[in-house]
Amino acid sequence: MSYASSVLRLARIPVLVACLGLLLAGCGVNNIPSYDEAAKAKWSDVLNQYQRRADLIPNLVETVKGYAAQERQVLEEVTNARARATQVQVQIPPDIVNNPEAFKRFQDAQAQLTGALGRLLAVSERYPDLKSNQNFLALQSQLEGTENRIAVARRDYIEAVRQYNTELRTFPGIIWASTLYKNNKPMETFTVAEDVKTPPQVKF
Amino acid sequence: MAPQAPPEPGVLFPPRNPGWLGFRMVLRRERAGHRGGVVRSRGRLALFAFVAFLLVLPAVALDFPALSGRVVDDAGILDEETRAALTQKLAAFEARTTDQLVVVTLKSLQGTSIEDFGVELGRHWQIGQRDKNNGVLLLVAPNERRVRIEVGYGLEGALTDAVSRLIIENGITPRFRAGDFAGGITRGVDDIVSVLSGDAEEWQARAARRPDTVSPTDSTRNDSIWPVIWVVLVVMLVVFICSMLAGALCAAILRLFAMLSLVSGRGSSGGFSGGGGSFGGGGASGRW
Repeated sequence: MSYASSVLRLARIPVLVACLGLLLAGCGVNNIPSYDEAAKAKWSDVLNQYQRRADLIPNLVETVKGYAAQERQVLEEVTNARARATQVQVQIPPDIVNNPEAFKRFQDAQAQLTGALGRLLAVSERYPDLKSNQNFLALQSQLEGTENRIAVARRDYIEAVRQYNTELRTFPGIIWASTLYKNNKPMETFTVAEDVKTPPQVKF
Repeated sequence: MAPQAPPEPGVLFPPRNPGWLGFRMVLRRERAGHRGGVVRSRGRLALFAFVAFLLVLPAVALDFPALSGRVVDDAGILDEETRAALTQKLAAFEARTTDQLVVVTLKSLQGTSIEDFGVELGRHWQIGQRDKNNGVLLLVAPNERRVRIEVGYGLEGALTDAVSRLIIENGITPRFRAGDFAGGITRGVDDIVSVLSGDAEEWQARAARRPDTVSPTDSTRNDSIWPVIWVVLVVMLVVFICSMLAGALCAAILRLFAMLSLVSGRGSSGGFSGGGGSFGGGGASGRW
Protein backbone atom coordinates (compact mmCIF):
# COMPACT_ATOMS: atom_id res chain seq x y z
CA MET A 1 0.00 0.00 0.00
CA SER A 2 2.73 2.47 0.87
CA TYR A 3 4.70 1.38 -2.22
CA ALA A 4 1.67 2.07 -4.40
CA SER A 5 1.01 5.46 -2.87
CA SER A 6 4.63 6.53 -3.11
CA VAL A 7 4.76 5.44 -6.77
CA LEU A 8 1.62 7.49 -7.39
CA ARG A 9 3.22 10.48 -5.69
CA LEU A 10 6.31 10.09 -7.83
CA ALA A 11 4.14 9.79 -10.92
CA ARG A 12 2.39 13.06 -10.09
CA ILE A 13 4.80 15.27 -11.98
CA PRO A 14 5.05 13.23 -15.19
CA VAL A 15 1.26 12.85 -15.23
CA LEU A 16 0.88 16.59 -14.80
CA VAL A 17 3.33 17.24 -17.62
CA ALA A 18 1.56 14.76 -19.87
CA CYS A 19 -1.86 16.32 -19.19
CA LEU A 20 -0.57 19.82 -19.73
CA GLY A 21 1.12 18.65 -22.89
CA LEU A 22 -2.17 17.24 -24.15
CA LEU A 23 -3.99 20.46 -23.35
CA LEU A 24 -1.35 22.59 -25.04
CA ALA A 25 -1.19 20.32 -28.07
CA GLY A 26 -4.96 20.46 -28.38
CA CYS A 27 -4.76 24.22 -28.40
CA GLY A 28 -1.82 24.79 -30.67
CA VAL A 29 -1.76 22.22 -33.41
CA ASN A 30 -4.76 23.50 -35.35
CA ASN A 31 -3.73 27.13 -35.44
CA ILE A 32 -1.60 26.98 -38.56
CA PRO A 33 -4.21 25.50 -40.89
CA SER A 34 -6.95 27.69 -39.38
CA TYR A 35 -5.00 30.89 -39.89
CA ASP A 36 -4.01 29.69 -43.35
CA GLU A 37 -7.63 29.23 -44.37
CA ALA A 38 -8.68 32.52 -42.79
CA ALA A 39 -5.99 34.40 -44.69
CA LYS A 40 -6.98 32.71 -47.96
CA ALA A 41 -10.62 33.70 -47.37
CA LYS A 42 -9.54 37.30 -46.81
CA TRP A 43 -7.50 37.12 -49.99
CA SER A 44 -10.54 36.12 -52.02
CA ASP A 45 -12.38 39.08 -50.49
CA VAL A 46 -9.61 41.33 -51.77
CA LEU A 47 -9.86 39.78 -55.23
CA ASN A 48 -13.64 40.28 -55.21
CA GLN A 49 -13.34 43.97 -54.46
CA TYR A 50 -10.69 44.52 -57.13
CA GLN A 51 -12.92 42.70 -59.60
CA ARG A 52 -15.84 44.90 -58.60
CA ARG A 53 -13.79 47.99 -59.35
CA ALA A 54 -12.73 46.60 -62.71
CA ASP A 55 -16.39 45.98 -63.56
CA LEU A 56 -17.34 49.60 -62.90
CA ILE A 57 -14.73 51.04 -65.23
CA PRO A 58 -16.23 50.44 -68.71
CA ASN A 59 -19.39 52.29 -67.71
CA LEU A 60 -17.31 55.15 -66.34
CA VAL A 61 -15.23 55.40 -69.50
CA GLU A 62 -18.35 55.54 -71.67
CA THR A 63 -19.93 58.26 -69.54
CA VAL A 64 -16.80 60.41 -69.58
CA LYS A 65 -16.41 59.90 -73.36
CA GLY A 66 -19.89 61.36 -73.79
CA TYR A 67 -18.73 64.71 -72.41
CA ALA A 68 -14.95 64.76 -72.69
CA ALA A 69 -14.12 62.77 -75.80
CA GLN A 70 -11.07 64.94 -76.44
CA GLU A 71 -9.35 63.55 -73.34
CA ARG A 72 -8.37 60.56 -75.40
CA GLN A 73 -5.02 59.96 -73.77
CA VAL A 74 -6.40 59.64 -70.26
CA LEU A 75 -9.32 57.47 -71.40
CA GLU A 76 -7.02 55.14 -73.28
CA GLU A 77 -4.70 54.95 -70.33
CA VAL A 78 -7.55 53.82 -68.09
CA THR A 79 -8.83 51.28 -70.60
CA ASN A 80 -5.37 49.79 -71.09
CA ALA A 81 -4.64 49.71 -67.37
CA ARG A 82 -7.93 47.92 -66.78
CA ALA A 83 -7.21 45.39 -69.50
CA ARG A 84 -3.82 44.68 -68.01
CA ALA A 85 -5.20 44.33 -64.49
CA THR A 86 -7.90 41.95 -65.70
CA GLN A 87 -5.34 39.91 -67.60
CA VAL A 88 -3.14 39.61 -64.52
CA GLN A 89 -6.14 38.65 -62.42
CA VAL A 90 -7.18 35.94 -64.86
CA GLN A 91 -3.66 34.55 -64.88
CA ILE A 92 -3.27 34.44 -61.11
CA PRO A 93 -1.44 31.24 -60.11
CA PRO A 94 -3.17 29.25 -57.36
CA ASP A 95 -0.26 29.81 -54.98
CA ILE A 96 -0.21 33.57 -55.40
CA VAL A 97 -0.27 34.25 -51.67
CA ASN A 98 3.02 32.38 -51.28
CA ASN A 99 4.60 33.53 -54.52
CA PRO A 100 6.42 36.89 -54.21
CA GLU A 101 6.83 37.62 -57.95
CA ALA A 102 3.22 36.84 -58.87
CA PHE A 103 2.01 38.85 -55.90
CA LYS A 104 4.13 41.83 -56.87
CA ARG A 105 2.88 41.67 -60.47
CA PHE A 106 -0.70 41.68 -59.24
CA GLN A 107 -0.06 44.55 -56.87
CA ASP A 108 1.67 46.61 -59.55
CA ALA A 109 -1.12 46.08 -62.08
CA GLN A 110 -3.73 47.23 -59.58
CA ALA A 111 -1.64 50.21 -58.50
CA GLN A 112 -1.31 51.25 -62.15
CA LEU A 113 -5.09 51.08 -62.54
CA THR A 114 -5.58 53.14 -59.38
CA GLY A 115 -3.25 55.79 -60.72
CA ALA A 116 -4.98 55.92 -64.11
CA LEU A 117 -8.40 56.17 -62.46
CA GLY A 118 -7.22 58.99 -60.24
CA ARG A 119 -6.02 60.91 -63.27
CA LEU A 120 -9.31 60.34 -65.08
CA LEU A 121 -11.35 61.61 -62.17
CA ALA A 122 -9.08 64.61 -61.75
CA VAL A 123 -9.50 65.46 -65.44
CA SER A 124 -13.27 65.11 -65.29
CA GLU A 125 -13.34 67.85 -62.64
CA ARG A 126 -12.84 70.29 -65.48
CA TYR A 127 -16.15 69.47 -67.18
CA PRO A 128 -19.12 70.91 -65.25
CA ASP A 129 -21.65 69.15 -67.49
CA LEU A 130 -20.03 65.85 -66.71
CA LYS A 131 -19.84 66.60 -63.03
CA SER A 132 -23.56 67.25 -62.80
CA ASN A 133 -24.55 64.21 -64.83
CA GLN A 134 -26.53 61.87 -62.57
CA ASN A 135 -24.99 58.75 -64.01
CA PHE A 136 -21.51 60.08 -63.45
CA LEU A 137 -22.31 61.02 -59.86
CA ALA A 138 -23.67 57.56 -59.19
CA LEU A 139 -20.57 55.98 -60.75
CA GLN A 140 -18.30 58.26 -58.78
CA SER A 141 -19.94 57.29 -55.49
CA GLN A 142 -19.78 53.61 -56.45
CA LEU A 143 -16.08 53.96 -57.23
CA GLU A 144 -15.42 55.72 -53.95
CA GLY A 145 -17.31 52.98 -52.12
CA THR A 146 -15.34 50.30 -53.95
CA GLU A 147 -12.02 51.96 -53.19
CA ASN A 148 -13.03 52.05 -49.54
CA ARG A 149 -14.01 48.39 -49.64
CA ILE A 150 -10.68 47.56 -51.26
CA ALA A 151 -8.88 49.40 -48.48
CA VAL A 152 -10.85 47.52 -45.81
CA ALA A 153 -10.34 44.16 -47.51
CA ARG A 154 -6.60 44.80 -47.82
CA ARG A 155 -6.38 45.72 -44.15
CA ASP A 156 -8.22 42.55 -43.14
CA TYR A 157 -5.96 40.48 -45.36
CA ILE A 158 -2.78 42.08 -43.98
CA GLU A 159 -3.97 41.36 -40.45
CA ALA A 160 -4.79 37.74 -41.29
CA VAL A 161 -1.40 37.25 -42.94
CA ARG A 162 0.34 38.84 -39.98
CA GLN A 163 -1.39 36.38 -37.66
CA TYR A 164 -0.46 33.42 -39.88
CA ASN A 165 3.17 34.43 -40.38
CA THR A 166 3.57 35.13 -36.68
CA GLU A 167 2.18 31.70 -35.83
CA LEU A 168 4.69 30.09 -38.20
CA ARG A 169 7.59 31.87 -36.59
CA THR A 170 6.79 31.91 -32.88
CA PHE A 171 6.62 29.19 -30.25
CA PRO A 172 4.72 26.84 -30.13
CA GLY A 173 3.66 27.20 -33.77
CA ILE A 174 7.22 26.78 -34.94
CA ILE A 175 7.26 23.25 -33.60
CA TRP A 176 4.20 22.24 -35.63
CA ALA A 177 5.47 24.18 -38.65
CA SER A 178 8.67 22.20 -38.78
CA THR A 179 7.06 18.84 -38.14
CA LEU A 180 3.50 18.59 -39.41
CA TYR A 181 3.25 21.58 -41.71
CA LYS A 182 6.55 21.63 -43.53
CA ASN A 183 4.82 22.74 -46.75
CA ASN A 184 3.30 25.88 -45.28
CA LYS A 185 5.29 28.91 -46.34
CA PRO A 186 4.86 32.48 -45.10
CA MET A 187 2.33 34.53 -47.05
CA GLU A 188 2.93 37.69 -49.02
CA THR A 189 1.42 40.93 -47.84
CA PHE A 190 0.68 44.30 -49.42
CA THR A 191 3.25 47.04 -49.35
CA VAL A 192 2.14 50.66 -49.27
CA ALA A 193 0.72 51.52 -52.70
CA GLU A 194 2.97 53.80 -54.69
CA ASP A 195 0.00 55.75 -56.01
CA VAL A 196 -0.88 56.75 -52.48
CA LYS A 197 2.50 58.33 -51.95
CA THR A 198 2.50 60.40 -55.16
CA PRO A 199 -0.87 61.97 -56.01
CA PRO A 200 -1.68 62.16 -59.76
CA GLN A 201 -0.32 65.26 -61.48
CA VAL A 202 -2.81 67.02 -63.75
CA LYS A 203 -1.29 69.29 -66.40
CA PHE A 204 -3.52 72.17 -67.49
CA MET B 1 -15.73 9.76 -1.54
CA ALA B 2 -14.06 6.34 -0.98
CA PRO B 3 -13.07 5.65 2.61
CA GLN B 4 -9.60 7.01 3.27
CA ALA B 5 -6.78 4.65 4.30
CA PRO B 6 -5.22 5.53 7.66
CA PRO B 7 -1.93 7.41 7.27
CA GLU B 8 0.97 5.01 6.82
CA PRO B 9 4.09 5.51 8.83
CA GLY B 10 6.65 7.33 6.75
CA VAL B 11 4.03 8.99 4.58
CA LEU B 12 4.25 12.66 5.48
CA PHE B 13 1.25 13.92 3.55
CA PRO B 14 -2.42 13.01 3.55
CA PRO B 15 -3.73 10.35 1.11
CA ARG B 16 -4.07 10.95 -2.59
CA ASN B 17 -7.73 12.03 -2.75
CA PRO B 18 -8.44 14.37 0.11
CA GLY B 19 -11.65 15.80 -1.42
CA TRP B 20 -12.26 19.48 -2.03
CA LEU B 21 -12.11 20.79 1.57
CA GLY B 22 -9.26 18.46 2.39
CA PHE B 23 -7.51 19.74 -0.71
CA ARG B 24 -7.53 23.27 0.65
CA MET B 25 -6.05 22.01 3.93
CA VAL B 26 -3.35 20.20 2.00
CA LEU B 27 -2.61 23.39 0.10
CA ARG B 28 -2.17 25.37 3.28
CA ARG B 29 0.00 22.71 4.86
CA GLU B 30 2.23 22.36 1.80
CA ARG B 31 2.68 26.10 1.49
CA ALA B 32 3.60 26.28 5.15
CA GLY B 33 5.93 23.32 4.87
CA HIS B 34 7.88 24.25 1.72
CA ARG B 35 9.23 27.78 1.79
CA GLY B 36 10.68 27.40 -1.68
CA GLY B 37 7.31 26.01 -2.75
CA VAL B 38 5.50 29.13 -1.53
CA VAL B 39 7.73 31.40 -3.56
CA ARG B 40 7.48 29.24 -6.66
CA SER B 41 3.71 28.80 -6.41
CA ARG B 42 3.10 32.54 -5.91
CA GLY B 43 5.36 33.34 -8.85
CA ARG B 44 3.54 30.87 -11.04
CA LEU B 45 0.19 32.24 -9.94
CA ALA B 46 1.32 35.76 -10.74
CA LEU B 47 2.55 34.63 -14.15
CA PHE B 48 -0.75 32.96 -14.95
CA ALA B 49 -2.70 35.98 -13.74
CA PHE B 50 -0.58 38.30 -15.87
CA VAL B 51 -0.97 36.15 -18.98
CA ALA B 52 -4.72 35.93 -18.42
CA PHE B 53 -4.91 39.70 -18.03
CA LEU B 54 -3.00 40.25 -21.28
CA LEU B 55 -5.24 37.84 -23.15
CA VAL B 56 -8.36 39.82 -22.31
CA LEU B 57 -7.03 43.30 -23.08
CA PRO B 58 -8.77 44.59 -26.21
CA ALA B 59 -6.41 45.86 -28.88
CA VAL B 60 -8.14 49.02 -30.12
CA ALA B 61 -6.34 52.23 -30.85
CA LEU B 62 -9.44 54.41 -31.23
CA ASP B 63 -11.55 55.50 -28.32
CA PHE B 64 -15.11 54.47 -29.14
CA PRO B 65 -18.19 55.81 -27.36
CA ALA B 66 -20.27 53.28 -25.46
CA LEU B 67 -23.32 51.81 -27.20
CA SER B 68 -25.79 53.39 -24.82
CA GLY B 69 -28.78 52.99 -27.11
CA ARG B 70 -29.85 53.29 -30.71
CA VAL B 71 -29.01 57.01 -30.74
CA VAL B 72 -25.57 57.75 -29.27
CA ASP B 73 -25.29 61.51 -29.10
CA ASP B 74 -21.66 61.89 -28.09
CA ALA B 75 -21.36 65.35 -29.63
CA GLY B 76 -24.50 66.61 -27.90
CA ILE B 77 -26.21 68.10 -30.93
CA LEU B 78 -29.60 66.45 -30.51
CA ASP B 79 -32.29 67.34 -28.00
CA GLU B 80 -34.12 64.85 -25.81
CA GLU B 81 -37.27 64.87 -27.94
CA THR B 82 -35.47 64.07 -31.17
CA ARG B 83 -33.48 61.31 -29.50
CA ALA B 84 -36.60 59.68 -28.11
CA ALA B 85 -38.48 59.92 -31.41
CA LEU B 86 -35.53 58.47 -33.35
CA THR B 87 -35.02 55.66 -30.85
CA GLN B 88 -38.65 54.68 -31.19
CA LYS B 89 -38.47 54.69 -34.98
CA LEU B 90 -35.30 52.62 -35.01
CA ALA B 91 -36.64 50.11 -32.51
CA ALA B 92 -39.81 49.65 -34.53
CA PHE B 93 -37.73 49.21 -37.68
CA GLU B 94 -35.60 46.53 -36.10
CA ALA B 95 -38.69 44.74 -34.78
CA ARG B 96 -40.08 44.66 -38.31
CA THR B 97 -37.01 43.64 -40.27
CA THR B 98 -34.22 42.70 -37.76
CA ASP B 99 -32.01 45.32 -39.50
CA GLN B 100 -30.15 47.31 -36.87
CA LEU B 101 -29.80 51.01 -37.55
CA VAL B 102 -27.82 53.14 -35.14
CA VAL B 103 -27.27 56.90 -35.18
CA VAL B 104 -24.05 58.19 -33.63
CA THR B 105 -22.69 61.72 -33.39
CA LEU B 106 -19.00 62.02 -32.63
CA LYS B 107 -17.09 64.70 -30.75
CA SER B 108 -13.97 63.99 -32.77
CA LEU B 109 -12.73 61.58 -35.42
CA GLN B 110 -9.42 61.27 -33.52
CA GLY B 111 -7.33 61.88 -36.60
CA THR B 112 -8.72 59.14 -38.84
CA SER B 113 -11.03 59.46 -41.79
CA ILE B 114 -14.74 58.98 -41.22
CA GLU B 115 -14.64 55.91 -43.48
CA ASP B 116 -12.08 54.17 -41.27
CA PHE B 117 -13.84 55.27 -38.11
CA GLY B 118 -17.16 54.00 -39.44
CA VAL B 119 -15.89 50.50 -40.24
CA GLU B 120 -14.01 50.17 -36.96
CA LEU B 121 -16.94 51.43 -34.90
CA GLY B 122 -19.42 49.19 -36.73
CA ARG B 123 -17.24 46.15 -36.12
CA HIS B 124 -16.59 47.11 -32.51
CA TRP B 125 -20.28 47.53 -31.70
CA GLN B 126 -21.20 44.60 -33.95
CA ILE B 127 -24.32 46.25 -35.29
CA GLY B 128 -26.54 43.94 -37.31
CA GLN B 129 -27.39 40.29 -36.85
CA ARG B 130 -24.48 37.88 -36.86
CA ASP B 131 -25.74 35.69 -39.67
CA LYS B 132 -27.05 38.48 -41.88
CA ASN B 133 -24.70 41.44 -41.23
CA ASN B 134 -27.67 43.76 -41.72
CA GLY B 135 -26.45 46.79 -39.81
CA VAL B 136 -26.41 50.45 -40.80
CA LEU B 137 -24.53 53.17 -38.98
CA LEU B 138 -25.29 56.86 -39.52
CA LEU B 139 -22.25 58.80 -38.32
CA VAL B 140 -22.15 62.55 -37.91
CA ALA B 141 -18.92 64.33 -36.97
CA PRO B 142 -19.95 67.96 -36.55
CA ASN B 143 -16.46 69.20 -35.67
CA GLU B 144 -14.91 67.78 -38.82
CA ARG B 145 -18.14 68.48 -40.76
CA ARG B 146 -18.41 64.96 -42.12
CA VAL B 147 -21.33 62.58 -42.32
CA ARG B 148 -21.30 58.94 -43.36
CA ILE B 149 -23.76 56.13 -43.87
CA GLU B 150 -21.90 52.90 -43.13
CA VAL B 151 -23.66 49.85 -44.55
CA GLY B 152 -23.07 46.26 -43.40
CA TYR B 153 -22.18 43.42 -45.77
CA GLY B 154 -25.72 42.11 -45.90
CA LEU B 155 -27.45 45.34 -46.90
CA GLU B 156 -25.00 46.51 -49.55
CA GLY B 157 -27.30 45.22 -52.27
CA ALA B 158 -30.34 47.15 -51.02
CA LEU B 159 -28.72 50.32 -49.67
CA THR B 160 -26.10 50.77 -52.37
CA ASP B 161 -23.30 53.32 -52.35
CA ALA B 162 -25.06 55.45 -54.93
CA VAL B 163 -28.32 55.50 -52.96
CA SER B 164 -26.48 56.34 -49.75
CA ARG B 165 -24.77 59.18 -51.52
CA LEU B 166 -28.13 60.47 -52.77
CA ILE B 167 -29.60 60.31 -49.27
CA ILE B 168 -26.68 62.32 -47.95
CA GLU B 169 -26.59 64.89 -50.73
CA ASN B 170 -30.34 65.45 -50.97
CA GLY B 171 -31.64 64.91 -47.46
CA ILE B 172 -28.87 65.39 -44.93
CA THR B 173 -26.25 67.92 -45.94
CA PRO B 174 -28.62 70.69 -47.10
CA ARG B 175 -30.19 70.66 -43.65
CA PHE B 176 -26.82 70.49 -41.94
CA ARG B 177 -25.68 73.50 -43.92
CA ALA B 178 -28.66 75.39 -42.53
CA GLY B 179 -27.65 74.29 -39.02
CA ASP B 180 -30.56 71.90 -38.55
CA PHE B 181 -28.91 68.75 -37.20
CA ALA B 182 -32.07 67.23 -35.78
CA GLY B 183 -33.92 67.70 -39.06
CA GLY B 184 -31.07 66.39 -41.16
CA ILE B 185 -30.56 63.26 -39.08
CA THR B 186 -34.30 62.57 -38.90
CA ARG B 187 -34.60 62.94 -42.67
CA GLY B 188 -31.61 60.66 -43.18
CA VAL B 189 -33.11 57.99 -40.92
CA ASP B 190 -36.48 58.24 -42.68
CA ASP B 191 -34.82 57.89 -46.09
CA ILE B 192 -32.75 54.90 -45.05
CA VAL B 193 -35.78 53.20 -43.53
CA SER B 194 -37.84 53.83 -46.64
CA VAL B 195 -35.13 52.50 -48.94
CA LEU B 196 -34.68 49.38 -46.88
CA SER B 197 -38.42 48.75 -46.64
CA GLY B 198 -39.32 50.27 -49.99
CA ASP B 199 -39.45 47.27 -52.25
CA ALA B 200 -42.58 45.52 -51.00
CA GLU B 201 -41.70 42.11 -52.39
CA GLU B 202 -38.16 42.20 -51.07
CA TRP B 203 -39.43 43.46 -47.73
CA GLN B 204 -41.94 40.63 -47.53
CA ALA B 205 -39.21 38.11 -48.26
CA ARG B 206 -37.00 39.57 -45.55
CA ALA B 207 -39.91 39.70 -43.11
CA ALA B 208 -40.63 36.03 -43.79
CA ARG B 209 -36.99 35.11 -43.10
CA ARG B 210 -36.82 36.78 -39.68
CA PRO B 211 -37.15 34.53 -36.63
CA ASP B 212 -40.37 34.49 -34.62
CA THR B 213 -38.86 36.17 -31.58
CA VAL B 214 -38.05 39.78 -32.42
CA SER B 215 -35.90 40.80 -29.44
CA PRO B 216 -32.48 41.99 -30.68
CA THR B 217 -30.37 39.88 -28.35
CA ASP B 218 -32.17 36.62 -29.08
CA SER B 219 -30.21 35.88 -32.22
CA THR B 220 -27.04 35.60 -30.16
CA ARG B 221 -28.64 33.20 -27.70
CA ASN B 222 -27.97 30.10 -29.78
CA ASP B 223 -24.37 31.12 -30.34
CA SER B 224 -23.69 31.41 -26.64
CA ILE B 225 -24.65 27.84 -25.78
CA TRP B 226 -21.59 26.22 -27.32
CA PRO B 227 -18.97 28.25 -25.43
CA VAL B 228 -20.77 27.41 -22.18
CA ILE B 229 -20.61 23.70 -22.96
CA TRP B 230 -16.91 23.98 -23.75
CA VAL B 231 -16.26 25.86 -20.52
CA VAL B 232 -18.06 23.21 -18.50
CA LEU B 233 -16.09 20.41 -20.18
CA VAL B 234 -12.80 22.19 -19.60
CA VAL B 235 -13.63 22.84 -15.98
CA MET B 236 -14.48 19.18 -15.49
CA LEU B 237 -11.20 18.16 -17.09
CA VAL B 238 -9.25 20.56 -14.90
CA VAL B 239 -10.97 19.38 -11.73
CA PHE B 240 -10.21 15.80 -12.75
CA ILE B 241 -6.54 16.63 -13.19
CA CYS B 242 -6.49 18.46 -9.89
CA SER B 243 -8.01 15.53 -8.13
CA MET B 244 -4.92 13.54 -9.15
CA LEU B 245 -2.42 16.03 -7.88
CA ALA B 246 -2.30 18.60 -5.14
CA GLY B 247 -0.24 21.72 -4.92
CA ALA B 248 -0.19 25.38 -5.73
CA LEU B 249 0.17 24.80 -9.46
CA CYS B 250 -3.28 23.30 -9.51
CA ALA B 251 -4.69 26.23 -7.55
CA ALA B 252 -3.07 28.57 -10.04
CA ILE B 253 -4.65 26.74 -12.98
CA LEU B 254 -8.05 26.84 -11.31
CA ARG B 255 -7.79 30.54 -10.61
CA LEU B 256 -6.70 31.21 -14.17
CA PHE B 257 -9.76 29.43 -15.53
CA ALA B 258 -12.04 31.17 -13.06
CA MET B 259 -10.69 34.53 -14.16
CA LEU B 260 -11.04 33.71 -17.85
CA SER B 261 -14.58 32.42 -17.49
CA LEU B 262 -15.63 35.45 -15.44
CA VAL B 263 -14.23 37.81 -18.02
CA SER B 264 -15.78 35.99 -20.96
CA GLY B 265 -19.12 36.23 -19.22
CA ARG B 266 -19.41 40.00 -19.71
CA GLY B 267 -22.88 39.90 -21.16
CA SER B 268 -24.79 42.59 -23.01
CA SER B 269 -25.81 45.78 -21.25
CA GLY B 270 -29.44 45.74 -20.18
CA GLY B 271 -31.09 47.36 -23.19
CA PHE B 272 -29.94 47.53 -26.77
CA SER B 273 -26.83 45.74 -27.97
CA GLY B 274 -25.25 44.79 -31.25
CA GLY B 275 -26.25 41.46 -32.78
CA GLY B 276 -22.79 40.38 -33.91
CA GLY B 277 -22.83 41.78 -37.43
CA SER B 278 -19.83 43.01 -39.35
CA PHE B 279 -19.02 45.75 -41.84
CA GLY B 280 -16.92 45.82 -44.98
CA GLY B 281 -16.57 49.46 -45.86
CA GLY B 282 -19.74 49.94 -47.94
CA GLY B 283 -21.78 53.13 -47.91
CA ALA B 284 -21.09 56.76 -48.72
CA SER B 285 -19.77 59.89 -47.08
CA GLY B 286 -20.50 63.55 -47.42
CA ARG B 287 -19.29 66.84 -46.07
CA TRP B 288 -20.90 70.18 -45.53
